[in-house]
Amino acid sequence: MPEPLPEAVLADLRRIVGVDAVIDDPGRLLAYESDGLTAYRRPPSAVVLPADTAQTARVVAVLAGAGVPIVPRGAGTGLSGGALAPPEGVIVGTARMNRILQLDAPNRRAVVQPGVVNQHLSDAARPYGLYYAPDPSSQTACTIGGNVAENSGGPHCLKYGVTSRYVTGVTVVRSDASVVALGGMGREPGGYDLVGLFVGSEGCFGIATEIEVRLSPLPQGVRTLLALFNRIEDAGHAVSSIVADGLLPAALEIVDGETIRAVEASAYAAGYPTDVDAALVIEFDGVDAALDAQAERADVLCRQAGARDVRRARDPVARQRLWQGRKKAFGAMGRIASDLLVQDATVPRSRLPEVLGRIREIARHYDLRVANVFHAGDGNLHPNILFDRTNEDEVARVESASKAIMRVCVDAGGTITGEHGVGLDKRAYMSLVHGPEELRTQAAVKAVFDPTGLMNPGKVVP
Amino acid sequence: MSGGVAQELRRMLADDQVIDGLAAEPWAVCDRVPQAVAFPGSESELAGVLERASAEGWTVAPAGRATWLFAGHPPRGIDVVVSLKRLERVLEYEPADLTVTVEAGVGLDVLAARVREHRQWLPLDPAGSPRGTLGATLGTASWGPLEAGFGRPRDQVLGARIVTGDGRVLALGGRVVKNVAGFDVLRAQVGAWGTLGVLTSATVRLHPLPEADRTLLFTAPAKEELVSLARALACAPVPVAALELMAPGERDTGATVSVLAARLLGTRDEIEGLHRALATTVPGAQPRLLEGEASAALFRNMAAVEDGAQFVVRLSALPDRLGWLFEQADRLAGLSHEAVGFGARVTAHVAAGTVRVIVAVLERSPGWVERTITRLRRVREELAADGGTLVITRAPPELVSDVGAWGIDPGTDPLIRGLKQHFDPAGILCPGRMEVV
Ligand SMILES: Cc1cc2nc3c(=O)[nH]c(=O)nc-3n(C[C@H](O)[C@H](O)[C@H](O)COP(=O)(O)OP(=O)(O)OC[C@H]3O[C@@H](n4cnc5c(N)ncnc54)[C@H](O)[C@@H]3O)c2cc1C
Repeated sequence: MPEPLPEAVLADLRRIVGVDAVIDDPGRLLAYESDGLTAYRRPPSAVVLPADTAQTARVVAVLAGAGVPIVPRGAGTGLSGGALAPPEGVIVGTARMNRILQLDAPNRRAVVQPGVVNQHLSDAARPYGLYYAPDPSSQTACTIGGNVAENSGGPHCLKYGVTSRYVTGVTVVRSDASVVALGGMGREPGGYDLVGLFVGSEGCFGIATEIEVRLSPLPQGVRTLLALFNRIEDAGHAVSSIVADGLLPAALEIVDGETIRAVEASAYAAGYPTDVDAALVIEFDGVDAALDAQAERADVLCRQAGARDVRRARDPVARQRLWQGRKKAFGAMGRIASDLLVQDATVPRSRLPEVLGRIREIARHYDLRVANVFHAGDGNLHPNILFDRTNEDEVARVESASKAIMRVCVDAGGTITGEHGVGLDKRAYMSLVHGPEELRTQAAVKAVFDPTGLMNPGKVVP
Repeated sequence: MSGGVAQELRRMLADDQVIDGLAAEPWAVCDRVPQAVAFPGSESELAGVLERASAEGWTVAPAGRATWLFAGHPPRGIDVVVSLKRLERVLEYEPADLTVTVEAGVGLDVLAARVREHRQWLPLDPAGSPRGTLGATLGTASWGPLEAGFGRPRDQVLGARIVTGDGRVLALGGRVVKNVAGFDVLRAQVGAWGTLGVLTSATVRLHPLPEADRTLLFTAPAKEELVSLARALACAPVPVAALELMAPGERDTGATVSVLAARLLGTRDEIEGLHRALATTVPGAQPRLLEGEASAALFRNMAAVEDGAQFVVRLSALPDRLGWLFEQADRLAGLSHEAVGFGARVTAHVAAGTVRVIVAVLERSPGWVERTITRLRRVREELAADGGTLVITRAPPELVSDVGAWGIDPGTDPLIRGLKQHFDPAGILCPGRMEVV
């Protein structure tokens, strides 16, 4: 149960942001009780929605003055419980900070407020022949602020890199209510790379209230293929051989049979055959003249790896339909099981076939359904576990299987999260990849940014 | 005292791992000659040296092969230089993963040769000697023309091991291309100029070696005439690997005209497509084409553009301010000696909006120090008013100490101090090098 804020604090907050922008009605607070990882639920004591940097700083001053924990929140699509507040904590939401402040086409740059939705930025840039490259599958909902906090990736990050590559500057409100502007395009980093350090800080260093990002020219052309495999390990081999061949696809995504059957049974049916063990979505983009040869080469390599069929999208409609099988995977899975644990880990891509095999064994051992849909080119796995939260025994097995999967990924030279972050969910796994001295360093660096210790406490560092 | 530190170090390391006296002079850091230079043979030997240095209060600067020790802001003093040049093993190379893990003392040239066997490369081309080590390149976050197409060192490094000022060994990041397991602490080390730790090994991302290499070379008598062409190419709807605009010094032998070089890398088909797209962007311009080795050689030569210069300053602003940056650059080029050396070169990383002023010899008539300082301050202020920066790469230490190499934003001071306190509690690593001046 949330602990109500003192009335004096609420009054101060209302004075700063307006009555409508402070939420403390228990019914309405339920909307903030979880993020995309619904296994964790706990409503905050209040939600405040400031409109800009100055209001945010004043809000933080009031909260910090009262010793109240502060949790930044974007769209709440995060998958590690990062945007959940402790019962006495307040969520500072960015929903009203949703303006694109500058779209500077000649410098391929945009300055946005943190609540701008990822897709909206690309839409706004499109008339200039530009777009914002990092494209999490949640891009129609998630915010740039959330992306910065999670250092989010997406299907096309194989070729273009993740969020950190695109963030050039950020204005941060720290927990002592100080405002600091870090970086900026056109400035050489005098001093340490504080922008790089801030990206991926999961709301624990401060609230990003203005963000400067790099935009990219829209690719001239695109070719999309779908390779179908009877064994998922062969799809993994195809990924390795495509990369080893020197090709650099924009995206290399694997969708396994379990997922395909869920998608095909849903309203999002994309026309994938349901009797395959895995489908590999391959996309090349860039200079049009080069794409056919690349697609042809990938086709050959997939067949050599054992693909039973390789299809090509002939037009934009076909391409969209083909991507639908990948992009709607999470939505579709929600329909076949009451609960879904979206897992996230990275392994060196050469180890994919072996690790996929191990995950299958683990699922069998714990008698669980695991559906894989993931960024194969980056070695970024999402083994998603389907379960029923009311079945206690099953919940315990999900826990054990998760742990076993993390261990396998780490042993293969990988890590416990590739893009969803640590948040609440993975704190217990941090010691799998960090020693005691490294964990102390994590805590120390947080303390440098967050002098009061009130900024999103209890996350990331175990 | 001098004998002291070297003697102490010889007790910890083998005799041939420590030099001092005259032998230490080439290892001066911005003219600060160390009392001793140590060559640890392993990470644990290095950790031992740093732990001891922290206990004794010896100031320490890390180094690679001493090809660029004059660069950056001068530390207040340096007792010991630790060179990583003996840490030169390739620790793990899995071509299928497009990643390689090497010790920090591996030269960029050695690394390039090694991964080339598998048709891969690391697209980092900082100015200076190709013998420079990976550790120093990451430590100073140095980049060159290829930044336009491939990004900066921070974008290539996936993980690293470091030793902190007090001898703790930390493994930061990892070996995989996507990793958000905790705060990205590694970022603080890249570009810290040896003030937050000593890198001992790193994992970097490799790229497929491009099949073809073509440079479009445009020339004009003066750099100003190439500005709009350069900007048009920077705004072209296709990616170029590099886009450099160079004006030679007044007395440069060889080149006498300004050149704009647009480098295209990729498959043969890709390069044709890129070239066509650029040709439509700048119709009528008639570039000379350099193919393959000729293209590569041009950029190799460009890496030497700072060699032998006494004074190198980097001016940055938003990329569309290129013409204005050149005006500011000319004010600093005017500091060059009228009769000695090549004069002043001005060269731009067009896409990044960074212009370098490279002066062979500074004019030193009476009052020159004050004059130069005033000029640097003015230009820095004007750039700052427009959101830009002035960074001094190389200058006589008395100038840099006064003006400050980086122009660090005082607003970030608490963060800088906090990080320093954690990674170097005794404050022995290049003290004074990364502080608000
Ligand atoms: C269907 C689905 C698909 C997804 N696909 C991907 C994918 O392909 N790749 C990927 O990387 N992720 C993916 N995600 C995860 C999620 O969408 C991303 O992590 C996203 O960046 C979160 O953005 P958000 O605005 O929803 O942030 P929230 O969930 O609101 O917050 C996430 C974290 O960011 C912090 N935060 C938010 N705003 C700020 C701010 N302004 N300043 C400081 N901290 C802030 C919060 O405190 C919290 O710790 C997916 C999620 C779903 C539900």
